[in-house]
Amino acid sequence: MPSQRGSARRRQRCVLLAGIAILLIALVLAAVLASVLTGSKEEANPEPLRWQGRGTTRNLREIVLGRCYSYLAEGHAELRDKDCLKIWESLKAAFVHKNPCNATTEDYRPLMELTSHPVPCNESLFWSRTYDLVHLYSKCNHHFLTLEDTFLGYMLDGLSWCGDPSAPGINYESCPKWSECERSSGSVFWKMASKMFAEAACGVVHVMLNGSIEAGAFRTSSVFGSVEIFNLNPDKVSEIRIWLMNDIGGPQSDSCSGYSIKKLRNILEERNFKITCEDNYRPVQLLQCVHNPDHPDCNLCISSTEAP
Amino acid sequence: MMKSLFLSFLLGSNLFVNNFSEVQGRKWKGEGTTPNLESITIGRCYDYIRVVNPAVGEKNCSELWEAFRNAFINKDPCNILPQHFELFFKLSLHAIPTDKSLFWENNQLLVNSFSSRARRYMALGDTLFGFFGDFLNWCGQENSTGLDYESCPTAAECENNAVDAFWRMASMTYAQHSSGVIHVLLNGSAEGGAYPVKGFFADYEIPHLQRDKISQIDIWVVDDIEGPNIDSCGHNTVQILEDRLKTLGYSVTCTDNYKPVMFLLCLDNPDHSKCTLSSSAPAAQRGPISSDRGGSWNKLMFVSFVGFLFRSVLVY
Repeated sequence: MPSQRGSARRRQRCVLLAGIAILLIALVLAAVLASVLTGSKEEANPEPLRWQGRGTTRNLREIVLGRCYSYLAEGHAELRDKDCLKIWESLKAAFVHKNPCNATTEDYRPLMELTSHPVPCNESLFWSRTYDLVHLYSKCNHHFLTLEDTFLGYMLDGLSWCGDPSAPGINYESCPKWSECERSSGSVFWKMASKMFAEAACGVVHVMLNGSIEAGAFRTSSVFGSVEIFNLNPDKVSEIRIWLMNDIGGPQSDSCSGYSIKKLRNILEERNFKITCEDNYRPVQLLQCVHNPDHPDCNLCISSTEAP
Repeated sequence: MMKSLFLSFLLGSNLFVNNFSEVQGRKWKGEGTTPNLESITIGRCYDYIRVVNPAVGEKNCSELWEAFRNAFINKDPCNILPQHFELFFKLSLHAIPTDKSLFWENNQLLVNSFSSRARRYMALGDTLFGFFGDFLNWCGQENSTGLDYESCPTAAECENNAVDAFWRMASMTYAQHSSGVIHVLLNGSAEGGAYPVKGFFADYEIPHLQRDKISQIDIWVVDDIEGPNIDSCGHNTVQILEDRLKTLGYSVTCTDNYKPVMFLLCLDNPDHSKCTLSSSAPAAQRGPISSDRGGSWNKLMFVSFVGFLFRSVLVY
């Protein structure tokens, strides 16, 4: 009798063990299946890298092509042979499928070569922290050209673009801010374009700086202070004229006799440039008055008449 | 003899063909369609909705181009009417912020600078539909779906050309959707008067203003800085305009040489007497600071030296 009970217990134990084994195998199979499935799902829809800046401008291609043809339609003789489709392809090749934090100047060299054109002497207008005012001025006075008024600058001003290693290769969700990585697509592009714009400058060049910035009108960390001034050619540039503009009704944090301009002057004089500086250059101040007509600083000597 | 006859025939027919194709190529006196018109306009459409004024929301730019193109292709280029562009304007329409409408005559570049690309005011050229076609040229051909890139009719050749039809419809649409305080910028130095009694503003915009949506009409008459004062508030054509608007029931104001616009005109003539700022004296005193730091010292030494010499001469 005891041997029969023993064998029954042994059978029960076997069944239990078998059951546990089957359960374990099932669990392992499920885990493997799950990882295989999610793995292939990830491959089908990989997430782009996440950054803090705004993503690639949608319809970038249409906008760039449209601006390219529009600029050419203005009839610049020196741009007659430019090919807008080729230019777009070279821009695309510069950043699509690439990690936007590892951009290089080599990425953009073909684009730079396809779009370069000479800038007339005495027309180059540089700027730092005066984006709105300097571009309003260059649009009103066609004797001055900022980088954003040149062919390449015009095509890409105000746009955002960056690639991503995963398909489709363009990140529309976000792009790195300049502060996020040393070699972001945007900063490498604009620094390279700025360098070439400075190298091409000749004759008298002008720069519009902001005297209402507490940190100083001239900063060595700006593109102007770190790239452009070091790429101006003393053999081609006869003089650098600084326009130091204070906001109408704004703080007068800096001026031509201030510390940051002294620093700028030292750097430029060391490279044998002649420098002049003017506080609140009149024509540009008049432009500021368009938007602040009632400010005491904007009183015209003749007053307007109003008829009911 | 047969050979020479044959050769003359060849020569004659060659000349005929050449002349014929030349005539075919330049049908009209005006410039042809702007090259790459489709790419430019679609690009501008996306530029507007993504960059210039994203507040207008999503638009189908390809659909817009098709509606625009269909208005005038495969038709007699001398018989294009504003209504042909109805679908285009329906698709491209968006709200014009109240108090921001800016109408104008004879000063387009000034208006573009003044409106600051829709930030201060939204002139017609700052709307999506105006931005789409500004400074471009286009026309089609009868019995062909192609655009004519060789030549297009001038207004003198065809009153009902595609470009004018577009701008007439644009003007009507713009006026219909304007509200609040309306602004009108006129050129007081324009030959024939500041307010053209036959023009886009007179014929297509005023008749389509919606009286119940408009609180006031402000007229600004600005002369060129060096220009003649042909017209001003309360005179000539401006009086005609003021009377017309008042008769239509609008509350009207008129200002000569509106200051903000004067400042813009002064950019090219900053030293003109009309452009003197009463607060500019201190600025002039600061003046340019040269890098030649020794300069002011040298001047002082020179003056002292001359003064010394002069005194010495007197003493002698």
